[in-house]
Amino acid sequence: MSEQTLASVTSIGDLEAPPAPDAGALLQRTALGDEAAFAALYDTLSPSVFGMAKRVIRNPARAEEVTQEVFLQVWQTAPRFDPSKGSAKSWVLTLAHRRAVDAVRHDQSATNRDLAYDWSPGIDHDEVVETVTVRLEHEQVKKCLSGLTELQREAITLAYYQGYTYAEVAQALDANPATVKTRMRDGLIRLRDCLGVES
Amino acid sequence: MSNDLHGLLAPYALDALDADERATFEAHLDQCETCQAELPGLVETLSRVGEAESATPPPALRASVLAAVSTTTQQRPVVSLDSRRRLRRSLPQLVAAAAVVAAMVGGGFAVIEHDNVSDMRADQERVTAIISAADATTTSGNVSTGGTLRVISSKSHSAAVVSGSSLKELPGDKVYQLWTMHHGIPKDAGLLGTKDGMVYVPKLGDAVAVAVTVEPQGGSKEPTGEPVAVTDLAT
Repeated sequence: MSEQTLASVTSIGDLEAPPAPDAGALLQRTALGDEAAFAALYDTLSPSVFGMAKRVIRNPARAEEVTQEVFLQVWQTAPRFDPSKGSAKSWVLTLAHRRAVDAVRHDQSATNRDLAYDWSPGIDHDEVVETVTVRLEHEQVKKCLSGLTELQREAITLAYYQGYTYAEVAQALDANPATVKTRMRDGLIRLRDCLGVES
Repeated sequence: MSNDLHGLLAPYALDALDADERATFEAHLDQCETCQAELPGLVETLSRVGEAESATPPPALRASVLAAVSTTTQQRPVVSLDSRRRLRRSLPQLVAAAAVVAAMVGGGFAVIEHDNVSDMRADQERVTAIISAADATTTSGNVSTGGTLRVISSKSHSAAVVSGSSLKELPGDKVYQLWTMHHGIPKDAGLLGTKDGMVYVPKLGDAVAVAVTVEPQGGSKEPTGEPVAVTDLAT
């Protein structure tokens, strides 16, 4: 729904930059060794990768390192990308999240992460989000997360934003691990439907 | 058991599994069509969640990434161990295929790991297309440090599948790298791995032979030593 609103806005005025180049096409050209296409792909996706990594890792310098690693991996493994199995953007963000989580697990002891949990401002954090598109997306994700049950929401946010394993989530929330797994699934399905992602 | 594994789908999508469970689930994922159908929607959902956190990285990072990329070799599509069953099923009619299967089954067949199932699928399809091509031809040669190099090429596809079997295992900082030979000039064709492996060569062009060298992990832009194997392509 927000996409429609945004589309009508952009067609009238110049509130938003022109639509970003298609990441899938850029990735396919990257797979053929096209460095210019890769540079354009970086420009298109690096804010998502860096922003997400910063949110998960909570250390901008480390998030930069992870962003660099992710894009090197994208360059190296682009020939393996299969566009029929998902979008280029979700492929890159999946690689990025995996790396961000691995970095967090590597860098922080369990104790530090417990402290990080207490400090965490959660999805309501007030960082300035930079464009209309991102702000709308941010608001929509926030709204959809708030539509989950508390356990669903906490299980998903602790895992996604802080790199907890489901077993650690269970411990942190004093819940049964089997229940946590189920709530993650129920919550993700509800989130998927709320965000209008095709199942 | 299978139910238990299926329950790991959501934690897997969230990267909320430890390394062992992640490996276990990925093995299950290859077999589980329900999981394969459900995963993309969850992955796309979480990519929307990640995207909502967008923040512009420092400009210096762009220069650093582009500089690193200009000196980094790209990988070629490769085939995973997990695909061998399907491969075997689809190719029994061909002598060429039998050679490949023997190489894979006999050799332990270590390969560069895949990030997901769809990558493997795509590779399987490409490889199957070559091996099952009407004009598929097999050549093979010895590897000087031990083992055999087999090349199945198809003129109509201008592509080849190259496998190394019974290769001597290399130390972790070395890798077998494949080259296609064009009028005496070697061109990077991908990495075979640290022991047995397979590489799909999508464009043979005017190549007349393939060669294998031992290179530092990650591969080299040009060969840094004498080849351990050179095998002519079928003419």
